[in-house]
Amino acid sequence: MSEIVFEGVRRVFTRDGKDFLTLDGIDLTIREREFVAIVGPSGCGKTTCLRMVAGLEFPSEGTVKVGGKLVTAPGPERAVVFQQFALFPWKTVWENIDFGLKCKGVPVAKRGEPIRRFIELMSLQGYESAFPHQLSGGMQQRVAIARAYALDPAVLLMDEPFGALDAQTRTVMQEELVRLARKNPRSVLFITHAVEEAVYLADRVVVMTRRPGQIREIIDVASVRRAEDWDRLEHIEEVMDQASFVHLRTRIWRLLREQQQPGEH
Amino acid sequence: MNRDPLTAKEFWLLSTLGFATLFGVWSAVALSGFVPSQFLPTPWGVVERMVELTAKPFAGYTIQQHLVSSVGRYLLGFGLAAAIGVPLGLLMGWFRWLDDVVSPLFEAVRFIAPIAWVPFAALWFGTGIGGPTLIIFMGAFPPALINAYRGAKFVEPRFIEAAQTLGASNWRIIVEVLLPASVPSIVAGLRISAGLGWQSLVGAELIVASSGIGYLMVKGQASISTSTVMAGMIAIGSVGIIIDVLLRRMEATINRRRGR
Amino acid sequence: MAARRRFGRTQIAVATVLGTFALWYVLTATGVISAARFASPREVWAALTQISVQGYADAKLWQHILQSCKLVLMGFLAAIAVGVPLGLAMGWSKRAEAYINPIFLLLRPIPPLAWIPLAIVWLGLGDAAKVMVIFVAAFVPSVINTYTGVRALEPYLVEAAAMLGAKRWTFIREVLVPGAAPHIFTGLRLSLQASWTTLVAGELVGALHGLGQVLNAASQDIFPAMILVGMIFVGVCGGAMTWLLGAIEKRSMPWRTS
Repeated sequence: MSEIVFEGVRRVFTRDGKDFLTLDGIDLTIREREFVAIVGPSGCGKTTCLRMVAGLEFPSEGTVKVGGKLVTAPGPERAVVFQQFALFPWKTVWENIDFGLKCKGVPVAKRGEPIRRFIELMSLQGYESAFPHQLSGGMQQRVAIARAYALDPAVLLMDEPFGALDAQTRTVMQEELVRLARKNPRSVLFITHAVEEAVYLADRVVVMTRRPGQIREIIDVASVRRAEDWDRLEHIEEVMDQASFVHLRTRIWRLLREQQQPGEH
Repeated sequence: MNRDPLTAKEFWLLSTLGFATLFGVWSAVALSGFVPSQFLPTPWGVVERMVELTAKPFAGYTIQQHLVSSVGRYLLGFGLAAAIGVPLGLLMGWFRWLDDVVSPLFEAVRFIAPIAWVPFAALWFGTGIGGPTLIIFMGAFPPALINAYRGAKFVEPRFIEAAQTLGASNWRIIVEVLLPASVPSIVAGLRISAGLGWQSLVGAELIVASSGIGYLMVKGQASISTSTVMAGMIAIGSVGIIIDVLLRRMEATINRRRGR
Repeated sequence: MAARRRFGRTQIAVATVLGTFALWYVLTATGVISAARFASPREVWAALTQISVQGYADAKLWQHILQSCKLVLMGFLAAIAVGVPLGLAMGWSKRAEAYINPIFLLLRPIPPLAWIPLAIVWLGLGDAAKVMVIFVAAFVPSVINTYTGVRALEPYLVEAAAMLGAKRWTFIREVLVPGAAPHIFTGLRLSLQASWTTLVAGELVGALHGLGQVLNAASQDIFPAMILVGMIFVGVCGGAMTWLLGAIEKRSMPWRTS
């Protein structure tokens, strides 16, 4: 239903008459309700992978399927949370969350309840009539997440959603996302270049090579999380203090460092 | 949702179709006899008339002589507007008291369309060169002033602070910091100023001139020679394009040298 | 501290205006500026009273103003009714843009006022010719700015709308138009300014009533005081309409900070 399958995906990008191979043979399956993070160097094509699931870009070769069906266009069943928030500046917080439901054709009377629920869940009470520009970055992203969740999507696609936030807000949002994901599990594809974020949030972490992007290795975090019972710890800094966490993080950093050319920083 | 890029073939095809529609409809209506040819010449009729006007004088001069007249007045008016507007704007941006004194007067007069100065232009200068020049000046002056003002006023404070901590005098700061930093804004303002000036020229020449393209068109209108009027419109448009292109080039070169 | 600064600025502004006024009075009263070339404050006041009460150029002041405003509104509203949708279409569809652009490339360089002689040949010296030229003048800025507004819409907003499942008309109504609104209003402002300039020019060339006609008649009568009255009201009416548009703009876009 919400399984994401990449099969032999290659993506060629043409500019000024020259061809650039950005993705070179991606085979990946994201199981139902699995939280998968993709990390990799800049330009490795990780965002492109997300956008292909979203239906905003298409593979040059190979297929991307969600729930067994080929992805042909964007849609609310594959909700996207953008790095730039992408809230409509002319709509209030309420109207932004409401918009997807409206497009779905949900009658007005039935829309209030889910909106209220997610406003509460994302701690946005009192801001229903505010405009995005009146909110901080963290709050805006909360609205974007609420908007995505309100669609009750089968798949949640998050493209470096905390990249534009300052470090403190970022950790708060990571904790909230973990809570939310536990309460409302669904397939999540999460793009980031912050390794710690990936290990903290995900069940599996996909490490990509530099361009042309291929999968270097897939790290199973969930089994370590279960074995070490990270979930008993309340705060993110406690989890990140665990030796098992540090090992995973270092392992991934090493894989990424391999990707660097000599002479690069 | 149609944001797909167009192939080059589609672009040329549609553009050509667009031109064809315009000229096709025009020619069809002109040839159909529905409208007398005096009122709607064919496109090639206009071109013929234009060529004719380069040899045969109309309203006193050939078309190129009219153009020279127009451009001459334009350069005078635009030159004055730039020569007064840019320095004044810069100084107003720098000296607050000057801004306070001049701004109210400027704001009050600004809303009066430049063309409304025509009666006084006629009164003071008759049909001499002064009349159209005044109108052009009134049209070209505000953008030149405003953009120079903004350029100076919104210079990054840290440039001024750096100069001050290095011990520069007021005068040196204006000349060596304010002015260079304001150049992009000034140039953008001059481009707008040039355009507005040219437009104002046309209006002025419709009423207070005895030569020039605008005058040519008015005389053409009086003799119901639509082809003359249209030839004038083409001439005006062409010069307008040339002015705009030249100034855009200049703006691009200046911006490029500054690494924007 | 800031309040004191502001107070000082208002004082200077008032002082400047009063000073200019005083200068004007003195220069005209002492004859430094001759009566044939300019008017004294008192003469302007007399002219104003004359046109308001008795009338000038066959009508009273309010009738002239009404006539001018009427024509501006007709041309302006017609132009934006056609121009804004066209700009939206051209901004959104590259095909529409490729097809319609050639016509624009040809029309755009021609200054609006240059259409006056042609309009007079085709439609005579009446209202129709003026509305035609006002239409042409107001049309181009509204199309171009609307087009720019559509192009300036952030791609991620368009993608978000697609992801949320917005269908065509919902998209146009709730994303495209509000997104382009700031640029659209800039276009409207420029169109309105162009409309006024064109109207005055048109009426100067030939009309029965209107502020431009007042200027024309005063010019022929060599009546500097009345010329000034005309000019003042051209400024006032233009300014008032611009202010009104600005108020509408602010109310339509409550989410704008500046």
